[in-house]
Formats: sequence, C-alpha cells, structure tokens
Amino acid sequence: MDHSQKRILMAKTGLDGHWRGPTIVARALRDAGFEVIMIGMANTDDIVRAAVDEDVDLVGLNIGGHINVALRAVNSVREARPDVPIFAGGTVPPHAKKQLEALDVEVFPPGSQLVDIVAAADRLTGRSAD
Amino acid sequence: MNTKDSPGVIRSSSGIELKNYYTAEDIPESHRHRVHSAPGDAPYHRGWHPTGYRSKPWRIFQLSGFGKPEDENERIKFLLKNGETGFIMEHDRNTADHCYNVDHPEVVARREDVGLTGAVMQSVRDIAICLDGLPVDTSFGHAGGAVVQHAPFALAGYWTVAKKRGYDLSKIAGTGQSDFNLTYLGCVTKQQIPTDAGLRFNTDIIEFCGEHLPRWVPVSIAGYNAADTGLSPDQELGTLFANAVEYLDEIKRRGNVPLEQAAKGCAGVSFRASIHIFEEAAKLRAARLMWSDLLRSRYNITDPKTANLRIHCVTAGSKMTYQQPLNNIVRGTLMALTAAMGGVQSLGVSGYDEALSIPSEHAHQMSLRIQQVIQEETNFCAVTDPLGGSYYVETLTAQLAEKAWEFFEEIQQQGGYLASLDSGWLHAKAAENQHSEFMALESGEQHIVGVTCAREDESPFEVDGFMGTDDAFDVATERLQETLRTRHEAGACAAMKNLEAVCRSETNIMPVMLDALEAEVTLGEIGDIYRDVFGDWNTPIQT
Repeated sequence: MDHSQKRILMAKTGLDGHWRGPTIVARALRDAGFEVIMIGMANTDDIVRAAVDEDVDLVGLNIGGHINVALRAVNSVREARPDVPIFAGGTVPPHAKKQLEALDVEVFPPGSQLVDIVAAADRLTGRSAD
Repeated sequence: MNTKDSPGVIRSSSGIELKNYYTAEDIPESHRHRVHSAPGDAPYHRGWHPTGYRSKPWRIFQLSGFGKPEDENERIKFLLKNGETGFIMEHDRNTADHCYNVDHPEVVARREDVGLTGAVMQSVRDIAICLDGLPVDTSFGHAGGAVVQHAPFALAGYWTVAKKRGYDLSKIAGTGQSDFNLTYLGCVTKQQIPTDAGLRFNTDIIEFCGEHLPRWVPVSIAGYNAADTGLSPDQELGTLFANAVEYLDEIKRRGNVPLEQAAKGCAGVSFRASIHIFEEAAKLRAARLMWSDLLRSRYNITDPKTANLRIHCVTAGSKMTYQQPLNNIVRGTLMALTAAMGGVQSLGVSGYDEALSIPSEHAHQMSLRIQQVIQEETNFCAVTDPLGGSYYVETLTAQLAEKAWEFFEEIQQQGGYLASLDSGWLHAKAAENQHSEFMALESGEQHIVGVTCAREDESPFEVDGFMGTDDAFDVATERLQETLRTRHEAGACAAMKNLEAVCRSETNIMPVMLDALEAEVTLGEIGDIYRDVFGDWNTPIQT
C-alpha cells in the first residue's frame, strides 16, 4: 500500500453554483487523508491545466449539465494526463452515466454513499489493493 | 444535530427532542393563549384568513422552462392548460445568473448546457417570445430573476413586455425573486455583485414596486434556498427573518418610502416543505407568528395586510431520489400535504425526476395532479388550519419559533445577515448539517427508501433525464447578433450610459433599467456595467 498523500482535483464542469454535493465529497476525501484541490466551476481548459500543474493522482468532476460538456473535459484530461483516473458525481441521468462508464469513468449519482466514494478514491489512486 | 443521545432519543430536524406523545401541559406557557385564536387573527400562526382555502385554494405554481424562449412558452402553456394557476419563467442559469450573453467565453465553453435550466433571454425580444399569449394581465407571473444581480433585468423585461401589450403596471400581479439565500448561500456563482450592491438592488426594487406596482411581490426571501443547502428548519426561519430585517433596516435608513409599504413588499416569502411532515407544517405556522411578532416589536407595524405573512412553498428537491424515481411521487404528495397543512398561499411540487434533470412534461403534469388531487378530492380545503390545537404541533410551533429567534440572534452577533454571508459563517453552518445528515444515513440512524433500504427495484418503469432541446445555444447566438444589428444603436448606447451613471449614484436603478430594456440593451452588456461599477463578491467558500 502506498502511504504518500494522494492528490485529488475536484472541479465543477457547469456554471450552476449549487455546491453541497462537491463540498461534502471533498470533506469526506480530506477526512480520509487525501489532499483535495478544489477549483470550483472550471471549463475544460481550466481542468486540464490544473490536472497537469497540480500533478494530481485522480480527477473528480461534478457534473450538473449536459453530458457533452463533461465528455469534452474527460477526453481532454485523458489526452493531457492519460495516467490519471477520473471519477464523477452529480446530476447524471442514466444515459449520461452509461456514456461516462464507457470511457472508464466511475460515476456516483445522487444517493451514493460517501464510504463508497472514498473506497473508489482509494482504489483509483492505488492506496488500496482491491 | 446531536450525536451523543442515549438510545431511544428521537429528535426533529431542528434538534428538538420529540416525546412519545403530547398533552396540553407540553404546550409552552407563552403559547397557550394563542392556541385559542382563530385563523385570520393576530399572530396569524393559524392562517391568513378565517375561511382559508374555501375562499382561495393555494396557487399551483411550478418552476418551468428550458431551451429557446418558444420552448419555455410552450411548456408554460401546457402547464396552464393542465391546471396551473400562475406561471414561472425560468431563465437559463449559465447566462442569467452571471449576466452573460451567450457569446461570453465561459458560456461558449459549455454551449450544450445552455437552455438546460431555463430559456435563454438576452433582450426584451426574447422575453416577449417567452410571454407570447400568456395571461400577463390576469395571472400571477414569476418573471425570473432568482439571482440578485439578474433581477432588475428580468423584472424590467417582464414589465416592458406588459407595457407594450398595453397593460397598466399598477394592476399586474407577480413576483421576481431576487433571493440572497440563493445568490450568496446556496448557489454561489462564478461571478456576482458584492452583497452591499445586492442589498441596494433589492431595496431599490422594493421601493420601486411600492410606488408603481402595488400588486407585485418585489422580492421573495427564500428560506427554501437556505434549507436545501443544509440549514435546519429553525435555522431556515431565523435566517429568513435576519434577511428581512436587513432589507427593512436599510429602507428605514434610506427614508425614501413609508416603512409599512416596504414591509408589505417583504411579506411574500418562500419556504421549503420537506419530508418531516409535522415539523415542516409547524415551521410554516411559526413563520407567520414570527413575522407578526417581528413587525410589531421592531417596527411597530400591526396592519393585518402587512403583518400577515404570505407563503409560497416548494417541496424539497434534495429529498427526491435518483434511485426508484417513481417513489418521489409519494414524497411529493407528502410534502405538498405538509405545505397545505401549514397554510401556504402558493405551492410548487418538485418533479419525480428532480434528481435526474429538469422536469419532463409528464413529471411536470404529475406535480400538478398531486396538488389537484389534494384540492379536489380529499376535502382538504374545507377546514382551515387542520392541525390547530394539536398538542404536538402547537408545541412544535412554539418551540421552533423560540429556537429560530435564538438563531436570529446568533446571526446578529455575527454582525447581521450580510456579514454572516460575507464571512462564510452561514455556509459553514449549512456544511456542518450536510455532513451530519450524511453521517446519519451512513450509520443507519436514518433511512431513505430505495437508497439505503428497500433497494431492490423490480419496477418495469425506466425514467431517464429530460434534456430539453439541442438548439438553444445556436438560436440564442443568432438572436443576439440580430438584436445587436437591428436595434437603434444610439438609443441603446445612451441607455447604457444612463444605467452606468445611476449604478454609480444612489438613484433607484429600476427606471433606467426599464429604459435600457426598452432600448434593447442586452443582458451581457448590463452585466459588464455591473462588473465595472460594483466589482466581484469575494466568495467565502471554495466549491
């Protein structure tokens, strides 16, 4: 198991400012020992720049709008940091969830448990073996 | 939230310890005499009017809008045809909340999001399309403008269309919202005018409406937005009244209009109706009690028309689940009934697809049907304040009011409501509650059906998110260019110059905003003036 502190970038892809989802997730991740870098509402370029500059181990996207906006961010991060896994949460309806999962993005829709999100972060950053 | 309770202790969402049953002795001494008052009597906790819903059932009032202005128009007509008794115009959040036109780089970067949360309305032309054929003169219309910096534009746009159709502004009824709890607490946008500029806008609107639109609800303080961000029912109440005194104290300081007229303008509020049904109904009763107490004790206002709080409720969106979404029809029904038991004047029920998207046509229709079934079939409207005299509910009403005043005082100790937003104190309170709520779910102390228990779903129904139309961005882009190309440019420039000068002065913003809309000044141009004059709010939280 890798005990160095893992870094997670969290960003909101849309321009809707409701914040309870991402902040509660960020708190759970911090409580679990991750370093969380929150950049709030960010467009694709902002997200890619932060993923590179901050040398993160995982990218978390809060999605509240159209799936194409999120897919653009996912594809651009993948291009710049092919080594970095991505997970996502927010108001992601079933059709959008399937599209993200097809790109290997783990999705946590409303109703997800924090413990499952933290477990995914552990696994995706290699903090745990399972 | 209390995590150190001994086993068997059950608390309300506000942390009030609940008894197994209640008797007359449980009703606090200070409240006992009030139990015997009648609906329509001060302090009004029993309701606004002696005959209640017999004389006027609550208004069925649903959030609505997406896509192009004509898509939104079509949906509103659908709702009206199906029995809605007022209508709400939603504006696209991407553009409206930030006062951006669609060609702003931050909007272009998210072009597919445009229109997903309301129609794009960048000029009075768009607003006219959205309102085409709608009963602006006879119905109660919500012009949009939920976010503070957007409200003057949205209101002036609606009023300009009404004037063009020949209606007398002094006779039209409706509201905007211009809500601080949304703007500075629940939905922290990328860019927003600072709270002191927001206070100036809202007091301008209140004063302007008092003079020119007496039937209009100028601002509607939304406890909803505090509650759905995490504040508990007592905190929702305390925050709402802390907000109200911030407006009224400022209007008193300005001294431009009679305080009683301004207080009437603040007396139309909105609350969240959540799922703890008796506490939520008690909250609405406590709200009326608190408003009349506040006006009497702080401002010496007792006129029933002003001291009688008028309440719009929206059922709690955050209680609607993504999993097994049809269960939300049951939740919507319970929360709607709660609002009705609390005596609201107006109600919107969240769609059963709330956790997936904006409402589909069918989900929207179901939100109407829930209310219609209660109004038409259950005989609910026959009796006013059906919970009045209940040992339990009267006790909770008094306890909630008491706890809410304590929270109100805590906010005053922070320097007042605006200061508690600027410092992030209220956000921290909300975040703390959000965390506790999650912990209670993860520990199994609380349950959500279909989410933390009863998870097997054998329903053959599949619900997916409603995604509106796919041409909102392109059409808005074309229309913006057309407006800029075909408007009278000198007139628009003059109106912008006047608007900027007024923004820099202490003159009421609304008259020049009406001129600006008339001259077809666009939303983004107005936003640019705001950004230049007022700068940006220093956001106290990182989202």
